[in-house]
Amino acid sequence: MMGNKQKILYGGFLLILIVLPFFLNSRWESVATTFLIYSSVALSQDIVLGRAGMFDMGHAIFFGLGAYSTAILNTVYGVPILLTIPVAIILPLVFGIILAAPIVHLRGDYLLVTTIGFNIVFTQALKNNVFGLTGGPNGIFGIASPSLFGYSLSSQTAIYFMAFFLLLLTLFIIRNLETSKIGRALHYINEDSLASECVGINTRFYRLYSFGLSAAIAGLAGVVFAVQFSAVSPEAFNFMQSVLFFTIVLVGGPSSIEGVLLGTFFMFVLPEMFRQFAEARYLVFGIAMILIMIWRPKGIWPAKFGRIPKYFFKD
Amino acid sequence: MDIFLQQLVNGLTIGSIYALVALGYTMVYGVLKLINFAHGDLVALSAYIGLVIMMQLIGVVSSKAVIIIAVFIFTAIIISIFGVLLERMAYRPLRKAPRLSAVVSALGASLLIENGIMLIWGPMPKIFPASIVPNINWNVGGVYISLMQLLVLVISLILMIILYFFVNQTKLGAAMRASAIDQDAARLMGINVDKIIVTTFIIGSSLGSVGGLFIGMYYRGIYFNMGWIYGLNAFVAAIIGGIGNIPGAMLGGMLLGVFNAFISGYLSSSWALALTYVLLIVIMIFRPTGILGERVAEKV
Repeated sequence: MMGNKQKILYGGFLLILIVLPFFLNSRWESVATTFLIYSSVALSQDIVLGRAGMFDMGHAIFFGLGAYSTAILNTVYGVPILLTIPVAIILPLVFGIILAAPIVHLRGDYLLVTTIGFNIVFTQALKNNVFGLTGGPNGIFGIASPSLFGYSLSSQTAIYFMAFFLLLLTLFIIRNLETSKIGRALHYINEDSLASECVGINTRFYRLYSFGLSAAIAGLAGVVFAVQFSAVSPEAFNFMQSVLFFTIVLVGGPSSIEGVLLGTFFMFVLPEMFRQFAEARYLVFGIAMILIMIWRPKGIWPAKFGRIPKYFFKD
Repeated sequence: MDIFLQQLVNGLTIGSIYALVALGYTMVYGVLKLINFAHGDLVALSAYIGLVIMMQLIGVVSSKAVIIIAVFIFTAIIISIFGVLLERMAYRPLRKAPRLSAVVSALGASLLIENGIMLIWGPMPKIFPASIVPNINWNVGGVYISLMQLLVLVISLILMIILYFFVNQTKLGAAMRASAIDQDAARLMGINVDKIIVTTFIIGSSLGSVGGLFIGMYYRGIYFNMGWIYGLNAFVAAIIGGIGNIPGAMLGGMLLGVFNAFISGYLSSSWALALTYVLLIVIMIFRPTGILGERVAEKV
């Protein structure tokens, strides 16, 4: 359960997010919107990487599948954005389970390498214009803005709040996951998969479940991403993007919500702030990533799991 | 048939470059169980450093052979120093940390080197001088082999044979194999594991530097972020052969090079990269330990 301190923390954080767009200029509002979207994707990546403990380095695939589903349905078939959402959730979910099914039993690095492979095949397929639908290397332009009851939600602030609701929904799902049977099963699998299998946890089922759930959230985030830029291109979902989400989770703190949010801020918003230093900033970021891992190997804000009574420890 | 043989020669040339780079990945993985993501960027760095040394020497030394030999030796020394520094700064402090922390540290190091290259030499591609290796072509029964290709093949082969004997016949090589199997046991036998790890980085980086110089001299155009794609391809080669397995990396590199060349030659070059990774995925699903990797029962 949430403690009082946490309630204040989350309340304050959400309150700041609500008033934030009214104080930002257009460029920073756009950065804040992307921050919300990336946070949701990173939180969904954390379900697989942090909670289930599977080294997934191809999460941009599901983000991209969601964005491309919306883009293709909207521009080619003229489906309104809001009606594309079910497809943009179900397609990544199905793909997540199909792709994960043959590989979830693989150990650590092998899984990591295979997911890198999936991601590169995915981006190459987008670039090569598969089925003549993905628009090749330039991607797809001119995605309409969503409309609700006849009102067009095209203003930047409207899109910001769409991203805000996305994050809210993600936080809600992850809160529930944490305190549910599934969340506990994933935590156990992560700690010791052999032992969890011995007590009767169906590890394969829960691993696939975590892949499906995280792919579905990432797909929904993809819809908001496609709407924000009213365009999608293969570069936004390439392997480097997966590396970004992967790093966000580990720098912030695996299976810690606060950690992942901080990680997104550190890895995405901070580089935007230092834009005037152009390319030198990534050099500094490389150094910062090494130093953070040396000083805080479990992330900036590591997750805390209950408290082990003192008498378990010898003095 | 001519196309087949021609693509085979091209594939083996590229494959031996992949193999040289893959050896760096596989050796480090063998002793540290860490995917050294910065290795590809060290390879890119070696091409740039080699180019600088070459341009300095071209005016001073007249013999081309001397220039090439000097470039290879100096670059190998400089890149080994970088490799040792990398291990010291980014990996050694994390040896006891969770495994993924070291992976992030490796990604950070990769970002650092890549952007360091861009800050120093700029984002535009650099071109290696054309005439440094004379442009001689032989026609062997309808198949063209250039002097450059022959150099790549012969030097790679020699280096791999030396490495093979070093690892299997010398005391240091035995210590290296022992550390790869069980570090604690190796330490109990009086092996200085830290020294072995440093040696591994020196050998891996020097082989990578040879690979990087070959990339520069064979393709001539080098760019600051080429480390990623060559690194990833070489890494796939290491996996195909069985990661941690030295002959496996050599075999994997050759196979990958030939596979790539045939796809570019017979199908389409725009799908070559995608199919390379489809091959990787298939191998991962059906034989995750690679072609030469042995299936080891997982320790509990």
